[in-house]
Amino acid sequence: TMLPLLLLLLPAAHGIAQLRYAPVLTQEPLEGVTTASTFVLDQPRCVFKDYGNADIWLVVALEQAISTFDNTAGPGTNETAFQSFPDPVRAYLTLNATLANYPCPKPDGEITVLRVGSETSCAQDETRPTCNGPLPGPGPYRAKFLALEGSVPVAETGWSEPIMLRTAKPLSSISTTDSGHSAGMIAITTILSILFAILLAGLVAMLVFWSSDSCGGSSTFSKPESVTVRRYNTHHVYDQPAARL
Amino acid sequence: MAKSDDCVHILQGLLVFGNVVIGMCGIALTAECIYFVSSSHGLSPLLKATEDIDINAAAWIGIFVGLALFALSILGIIGVIKASRTLLLVYIILMLITFAFEMASCITAATHQDSLTPELFLKQMLESYQKSEPANNSDNEVTKTWDELMLQNHCCGVQGPSDWQEYTSTFRLTHSDADYPWPRMCCVLNAQRIPVNLDGCKLGVPGYYNSNGCYNAISGPVSTHAWGVAWFGFAILCWTFCVLLGTMFYWSGIEY
Repeated sequence: TMLPLLLLLLPAAHGIAQLRYAPVLTQEPLEGVTTASTFVLDQPRCVFKDYGNADIWLVVALEQAISTFDNTAGPGTNETAFQSFPDPVRAYLTLNATLANYPCPKPDGEITVLRVGSETSCAQDETRPTCNGPLPGPGPYRAKFLALEGSVPVAETGWSEPIMLRTAKPLSSISTTDSGHSAGMIAITTILSILFAILLAGLVAMLVFWSSDSCGGSSTFSKPESVTVRRYNTHHVYDQPAARL
Repeated sequence: MAKSDDCVHILQGLLVFGNVVIGMCGIALTAECIYFVSSSHGLSPLLKATEDIDINAAAWIGIFVGLALFALSILGIIGVIKASRTLLLVYIILMLITFAFEMASCITAATHQDSLTPELFLKQMLESYQKSEPANNSDNEVTKTWDELMLQNHCCGVQGPSDWQEYTSTFRLTHSDADYPWPRMCCVLNAQRIPVNLDGCKLGVPGYYNSNGCYNAISGPVSTHAWGVAWFGFAILCWTFCVLLGTMFYWSGIEY
């Protein structure tokens, strides 16, 4: 009779329901889905329907720590304090909520998300071990939801896919030196250079022409004030009517 | 001979007409460059900070070239009508010098225009944009210019708010990423310059933040001016080239 009793007790001891859901980065078109120290998850709507009495916590863990995470580690203890994350604490609990915070079904048109890492005021405050503080590095991180009744875990979701945060490239990597030359600028430069060269050649030709002074064959034209050639009568042919008598 | 006289008169008429056009274009060039130098389109702090003074140098050269063209065109008209060899020689030489200066100005304006890439402004913005606490009014010139730019044009960063995420910046040193993924000026603000929905802005919800980059708003006005100086100058030089060739031909035909 002891054996059936033991067999009955065993499932009760491991009575955490495994919900068929895993937290996921939101699919909403938000610019800040991941930043350098925060990420945005969809709220677990319609997931914890049967757990109206439970506190729903978010567990954020380093990728390597998910296999060693103990569901019975309570929130707000030294082993799960945010301020000691990532070393020595490798997973912390935050974002306490109840089913009332996640009503089902989700209304259309509303953006229902959780921003992990948004509380900066308590990030250094040891009296707030469940602070939703900014994440200290680019990751990768994994998250899951855990429902606790009192201090007893009753349900959990699966672990999310690994979440990588953004890393900022150094400012010095922006190169401002190699800017190409546009077609317009090249056109202006070549055409003007050619024109200037022609004019210089013309000027040189002019000066050579002037100094050599061999202007016999070229067409010349007179100055506007035309010189009138006067004709001088060499004989006075009209002067002798009196001589004829 | 009558025919040759007619040709002479036609050539003289053409040269006088050409010089009149040069004179008027010279005045127009001077006016345009004065306008460009003195117009405060509000972006001068950004351009000064890029340490690129070339466009201003090109405009200043344009002012003096314009005045020189006007004076030389008068000299040219007198020289053509009097058919004086010395006057015309002086005219041609001085015109060539002016041509060279204007050529330099055009090429500088066109080259400068090419150097205003988004990367240039991005680097300057990330290095210099520094918001001090709201109580202080001691933001530097670049910060004030960027704030006004982002406010007036409803834009953020050079290519978008992700500029602040993709690169390290001076802004990031004093403002944490969780509180300020991008500056407050990138949020949609009400009349009191307070974000309409701060959480929406931090999340990046469309409608509560400016998702466009400001590069178009910056490069637009500067482009127009630069191309105005460069291409108008180019047109004047082409016309001047023709007039100078005609003058050289006329000069070589004047008898002593």
